[in-house]
Amino acid sequence: MSTQLHANLTEEQVRQISGDLDEPDWLLEIRLEALEALEELDMPDVIRTPGRDWTNLHELDFESLVDPLNAAENKDQVGPDEAEVLPWADAVAEHEALLKEHFGSIVDPQENYLTALSTALFSTGTVVYVPEGVDAEAVTIRTEQNSRSLFNYTLVVTEESSSVTILERQSTGSEQDEQYYSGIVEVAAGENSYVQYGSLQNLSEDAYNFTVKRGVTDTYATIDWIEGNVGTQLTKTEVSTELNGDSSETQIVGAFYGHNDQHFDLDAKVWHRAEHTTADLVTRGVTDDVARSVYEGVQDVGEGAWDTSSYQRENTLMLSDESEADASPKLIINNHDTEASHSATVGQIDQEDLLYMTSRGVDPRSARNMLVEGFFVPVLDEVDVDELRDDLEGLIRQRLHARD
Amino acid sequence: MSSEQDHLKETDTEARFEFKKEENSAVRSDKGLTEEVIRMISEDKDEPDWMLERRLRALEQYQNMPMPTDWPGQPDLTELDIEEIVPYIRPDVDKREGVDDWTELPDEIKDTFDKLGIPEAEKNALSGVGAQYESEVVYQNMQEQWEEKGVIFMNMDRAVQEHPELVKEHFMTTCVPPSDNKFAALHGAVWSGGSFVYVPEDVTVEMPVQAYFRMNSEGMGQFEHTLIIAEEGSEVHYIEGCSAPKYGTHNLHSGGVEVFVGEDAHVQYSTVQNWSKNTFNLNTKRAICEANGTMEWVSGSMGSKATMLYPCTILKGRGSTDTHITIAFAGEGQDIDTGAKVYHNAPDTSSTIESKSISKDGGRTNYRGLVHIADGAENSSTAVECDALMFDNESTSDTMPYMEIEESKVDVAHEATVGKIGDEDIFYLQSRGLDDDDAKKMIVAGFIEPITEELPIEYAVELNRLIELEMEGSLG
Repeated sequence: MSTQLHANLTEEQVRQISGDLDEPDWLLEIRLEALEALEELDMPDVIRTPGRDWTNLHELDFESLVDPLNAAENKDQVGPDEAEVLPWADAVAEHEALLKEHFGSIVDPQENYLTALSTALFSTGTVVYVPEGVDAEAVTIRTEQNSRSLFNYTLVVTEESSSVTILERQSTGSEQDEQYYSGIVEVAAGENSYVQYGSLQNLSEDAYNFTVKRGVTDTYATIDWIEGNVGTQLTKTEVSTELNGDSSETQIVGAFYGHNDQHFDLDAKVWHRAEHTTADLVTRGVTDDVARSVYEGVQDVGEGAWDTSSYQRENTLMLSDESEADASPKLIINNHDTEASHSATVGQIDQEDLLYMTSRGVDPRSARNMLVEGFFVPVLDEVDVDELRDDLEGLIRQRLHARD
Repeated sequence: MSSEQDHLKETDTEARFEFKKEENSAVRSDKGLTEEVIRMISEDKDEPDWMLERRLRALEQYQNMPMPTDWPGQPDLTELDIEEIVPYIRPDVDKREGVDDWTELPDEIKDTFDKLGIPEAEKNALSGVGAQYESEVVYQNMQEQWEEKGVIFMNMDRAVQEHPELVKEHFMTTCVPPSDNKFAALHGAVWSGGSFVYVPEDVTVEMPVQAYFRMNSEGMGQFEHTLIIAEEGSEVHYIEGCSAPKYGTHNLHSGGVEVFVGEDAHVQYSTVQNWSKNTFNLNTKRAICEANGTMEWVSGSMGSKATMLYPCTILKGRGSTDTHITIAFAGEGQDIDTGAKVYHNAPDTSSTIESKSISKDGGRTNYRGLVHIADGAENSSTAVECDALMFDNESTSDTMPYMEIEESKVDVAHEATVGKIGDEDIFYLQSRGLDDDDAKKMIVAGFIEPITEELPIEYAVELNRLIELEMEGSLG
């Protein structure tokens, strides 16, 4: 399959993308190496159990999806004056040293076939730089995809004792039969800094989405992720944190709602690589119609990660009998000075709850909708940004009301 | 606790498993796996043609299947060279189908089982005993009262001859076909010995039946096959124990277990595995449960260099139930990768999986489990609980559950915790006058109690002793 695709992609195209952005040679070099590596790289890992692949990425027809030179989008990149929120081309011009230090250092461009593809072809992006001691609130990045394929890159760097709240949204402008969105997000959280990165993916239900969001923490730093998935027909994402600094923390909060024939493959991962680190992973989701959700959670505690606390919870609510919910929460523990737990549940709306509501005069449909909305509350409570919480709530409500 | 420890020294549990005997065989196959070796085994057993054909078909499947190498975090099998394993050794005994009197056995074999305490246990707590030495069952006996009720407990080789219809229908057909995995195919080609248990309708076998498997020779492979058929409304508890002395080269144990649980029947299958730490233990165990049947797996995995074992229950009949209780203990150089698989294929089925693991001195334990609830298996419920205890920082404890839920009217819960031995717990026990060592042993004994209470008292004591032995000297 990769050879097929490769036949369609040329070094020339990559040179042109890089040239249009006025990138220095070292960046072009990274892109070209990624392009060349495509031939040998595999698709991202998916879970396999006897006789079943939980997600079949090989069904994706990339050849017809990737159109590297005709990327089109509507982008909004705003933030407060204290922090720098720059479109990729401006960042290349103004912050070359910063990019050189961080670009590709957190998500290896050649980690798999799709990251390499994204690295070789990305034509748009955002760099958020928060200087020492600055508290930057309400950085907003909105991307509206108007082309067949769009490759996006985001870098967030926070200096010592700074903080930033970022809200990212993806949606589709002009719809086409099939679309492909690919995004890589790297977050480098400096000492004692705080990053909340909220993301709401609401692409068209004909779109395919591949996203990797990964952060690295320095000492005392915190990265909180909020990951909302509503759109696309197939989504494969990873949200992850490498806790590299002593006493650093992370939280990964996920919410998804799949209906029709949507397929979500969502990974939440944390690597404890320093002492006194804490992680909390919470995901809640709903599957309806013939939708399928696949969840993989990994809590990996390294040998040197003394005094680790690591918790993970995943709950799926099945609204239809034809949907499927798969889950695999994994613990990999190499240090015994660890307190770790994980749990996962799958179930339907509690009949007793429903009876209670209807006995109070609520009609069954409203009762069900209220219970589903209530199911998301523990996740929504973790969202600091009002806009993100309201939008997520709104999308859930909209989907519930469209149901009958 | 201290007094029990003295007791441990007296009984010298380690020596009970570690002794070696001269190999004294009547027939010994070549190393490796060829058609000639398969034909030789089948001929030596004087098997009917259909069984030889099944063996040869399994051999072909084995040769066409790749070694499993791409499981995330799986034990390293590169040191396992099947071409160096001797698949078949028939010990030199007079009577092929196994004697029913220990005194008729050659001294070195009788001595082996004496040291393992099998004849002693038979007298006290068991309905029947089978004992396998290398590739053959050398002793087989069951109390007359069960024979009168039509219960069959005999070695598998003899069952092929005496109950061909039952064996033909159930042996590696619907439950564990050789095509299931590479080691099931290997097993299908070279299997030898094991037990055949048949319990007629509405018969309850009150005391457990036991089979003990002993590998004595260096570099051999043991491939016993156990087939249990429990008819409607019957009940039986089968226990297997395994051990081998340690050698420099690798041994392979690749058993096959098939259990057919009839309507309203109840089967418990308990294993205390204490293979030597040069043994690769790669088993396939599976049960098919009819309506309202109950299957219980109780497994203690202490031994082996590497274990890959995931007892599986297929809940085929409405209202059937599965229980898994497993405990894994991995010490230095051990990789115990074990867990459970449950397929809910009918409505109103339920399963409970309780897994406990202890890792120390660089050992690795992994819980790897799959729960699959098929579309239409309404009102099914499953609860999975994994707890891991780690002793030191060289050890590893992993948990890898997989849940596939295709039905919405279900109740699915998975929970896991990992932790070290609590300092506060130890402090509390010390304040009551126990030393550090005893405190830790007591905490471990409490940790595994859910398992030990499922076993007859003799086995519970044995399991506790084995764990104490594993912990000896490494604590405090």
